[in-house]
Amino acid sequence: MPLLKLRESQIMKIHYLTGICAVFFVAIHILFRLIMPFGQSLEFHNVVANYHNIYYIILLELILVFISIHGFNGLRIILLELKQNQWWESTITILVLAAMIGVIAYGTRTIIIGSQL
Amino acid sequence: MGIKPNSENNSSTGDDIRLKSGREGLMGWLNPTRYGWERVSYWLQRLTGVGLLIYFIGHIYETSSLVNGINAWNSMLELTQTTGGHIFLLLVIGASTFHTVNGLRLIFTESGIGIGRPGRPDYPYDATSLNYKQKSGIWVALLLATIAMLYGGMVMFGDVT
Repeated sequence: MPLLKLRESQIMKIHYLTGICAVFFVAIHILFRLIMPFGQSLEFHNVVANYHNIYYIILLELILVFISIHGFNGLRIILLELKQNQWWESTITILVLAAMIGVIAYGTRTIIIGSQL
Repeated sequence: MGIKPNSENNSSTGDDIRLKSGREGLMGWLNPTRYGWERVSYWLQRLTGVGLLIYFIGHIYETSSLVNGINAWNSMLELTQTTGGHIFLLLVIGASTFHTVNGLRLIFTESGIGIGRPGRPDYPYDATSLNYKQKSGIWVALLLATIAMLYGGMVMFGDVT
């Protein structure tokens, strides 16, 4: 019995959708680095100022979630291409989900603390 | 007679068995003897994907130094805002642009857009898996990745903002 009750076709649609959304959000994220000279935009006070903008915080969180889902599902697809059996598929799915949740949690912690600096 | 003795039939190596069962694993991926543009694209899509995932995790870790104050942030910048760090970032820009454009091409392919109608196979058979539109998509992805890297280089090493 599959670990997730999602068909691979449904997972691929999520993969494509998160990828396309991530492109748009990352483009905005990069534009924030280009509204002033690149080095200056990375100065501590400028970055903290970004974290005080609620729309930018939402953007960062969306990027974090979308790229995590897209990236770790991509890794899962690659690993499932290499080997196929029930044990391997379940193990990879569990490990990838755990890593994805860990990265999202760690990134969210930075966003929350950063917004309170 | 045509039947071989058992001792000859049992001479298959582990590699032969893996090849016959279609399970070549990572070596099947990396085998360059069957490379066409389709395979280059397949391989680059996975390579850039894994590379970008590693960068993404590193970027989240790098950014988390913000919560430890200005000194920790500046120390991290000293590590990353170097010539080597900028060259690494250029590779990330190239990889992300290729991955994006080629990924869009793959979405079109899977949706049946741009792959044309199936035709009757006439002699001499031209065995291709992608038509010119799809193949040109790979070239466009490589070209845009190069342009993005050039622009990124001008921003990081030059005066362009």
